[in-house]
Amino acid sequence: MNYSQRLIDHFRNPRNAGMMRDPDGVGEGNFDGCGDLARFSLKVVDGRVSDVRFQTYGCGPTIAASSAGSELAIGRPVSELLALSEQQVTAAVDGLPDERLHAAQVVAGAIRAAARDYLARRNTQNRSEVRPHV
Amino acid sequence: MNRRVYLDHNASTQVHPEVVAAMLPYFGERFGNPSSVHAFGQEAREGLEIAREQISHFLGVGKDEVIFTSGGTESDNLAVKGVAWARGTGHIITSEIEHHAVLRTCQFLEGQGFAVTYLPVDGEGLVDPDDVRRAIRPDTILITIMHANSEVGTVQPVEAIGPIARERGIPFHVDGVQTFGKIPIDLDRFRIDLLSFSSHKIYGPKGVAGLYVRKGTKMVAVQHGGEHERRRRAGTENVPAIVGFGKAVEIRAREMGAEALRLTALRNKLWAGIGARVPEVRLNGHPTRRLPGTLNMCFRNVESESIVLGLDLKGVGVSAGSACTSGNVEPSYVLVAMGVPLDWAMGSVRATLGRENTEEDIDYVLEVLPPLVERIRSLSPTAVS
Repeated sequence: MNYSQRLIDHFRNPRNAGMMRDPDGVGEGNFDGCGDLARFSLKVVDGRVSDVRFQTYGCGPTIAASSAGSELAIGRPVSELLALSEQQVTAAVDGLPDERLHAAQVVAGAIRAAARDYLARRNTQNRSEVRPHV
Repeated sequence: MNRRVYLDHNASTQVHPEVVAAMLPYFGERFGNPSSVHAFGQEAREGLEIAREQISHFLGVGKDEVIFTSGGTESDNLAVKGVAWARGTGHIITSEIEHHAVLRTCQFLEGQGFAVTYLPVDGEGLVDPDDVRRAIRPDTILITIMHANSEVGTVQPVEAIGPIARERGIPFHVDGVQTFGKIPIDLDRFRIDLLSFSSHKIYGPKGVAGLYVRKGTKMVAVQHGGEHERRRRAGTENVPAIVGFGKAVEIRAREMGAEALRLTALRNKLWAGIGARVPEVRLNGHPTRRLPGTLNMCFRNVESESIVLGLDLKGVGVSAGSACTSGNVEPSYVLVAMGVPLDWAMGSVRATLGRENTEEDIDYVLEVLPPLVERIRSLSPTAVS
């Protein structure tokens, strides 16, 4: 399989792998075809992602795309992550072979889900904060 | 620079230097067409017939019982279709874990109106000879069972199946691609009527294989044209490759016994080392009735391709049991047939040893594999922490 040097580097030395205590948002992406699963946890400060951790089960490209996706997410406004595309993740590993495009799909899906989870939690929190005043 | 360790000998092997040397003249001055009557042709013909002699001698059969083909897949196709089409209709018995060259040929024949029984295997990959006996019908025209499975290495009880077929007068084809030149094949004692065997699994060149057809076995040609191979396989013979194949077989005759013992010991050392260093790993295939150099194992909660990639980056070549194509991971149909649970089957890795592997190779793999599995597991949300 012909993988880019950047992909190989992410596979060998994954950045931001692991679990996170008290995350502000958690999301999962999976791919039924092969059982690949990625779980992303976010910390958010002032609407921007300040820290990311991922846990991934999958083939080499999915692990590498998770690492690259975590770097994409850090420092970005959560609102931007809601629209994170597979293409952006694919580009972050300098491309994927056609039969491994699902790696980017799993990772982009997980990051978008984590961003949505953050917003949902925030809304719930806001509602519970304002409720006593209603 | 990493050490390079090739552990994928069931896929293909490095051509033996003596084989390369034997082939070279047939690319050069002995280039003729063996069907030509002139001296150029006859020199090529001589090489072809020496190879046929080397191989028939090794198998203990007549020279006219050996047909050269382009590969194991063609040999299997010729055997299965050739016997089926010679009868025109009827029932075929095979197993669920045959190579695709047999399985898909059988499926193709089903489309033509032939009936096929696919026998199950047990947890260690063995076909039960009693199942074969029970599956036989009055219209059964062929029994085709592989000698050893390429993925897990389990060696089938062909010595028990052959007599059952012979008793009923049913031709018995054995796909011996993985065993030929590795472990003994006694065609008469096993009552084998057709045997597929290949060159590039035993340090010969690719693109050449053979089919043994016992004299008197009814089989029609699948490929038509000239008078080659006694009209059973038309097409100018791949003379340099056939010469190399003959040489490879001659070398196997003197090396295979000692090598089988050596590879079994190395393989067992590898498995013992992995078992001692890596938790949640299981052996696939039969513990003892197994090809000497074959080790297939499952790492739970790891996706096998990530191990293959990780080892590749360390210079070690192994193969994955599950194959990911277009985002669909198919767990190995062989492991599924053996009843291996899915969370294990997805993490299957096959290491197959060969003549150039050393103790140092095994030590190196035992050094790099355990931390790799641990690292990949540590990334996984499904891992038991």
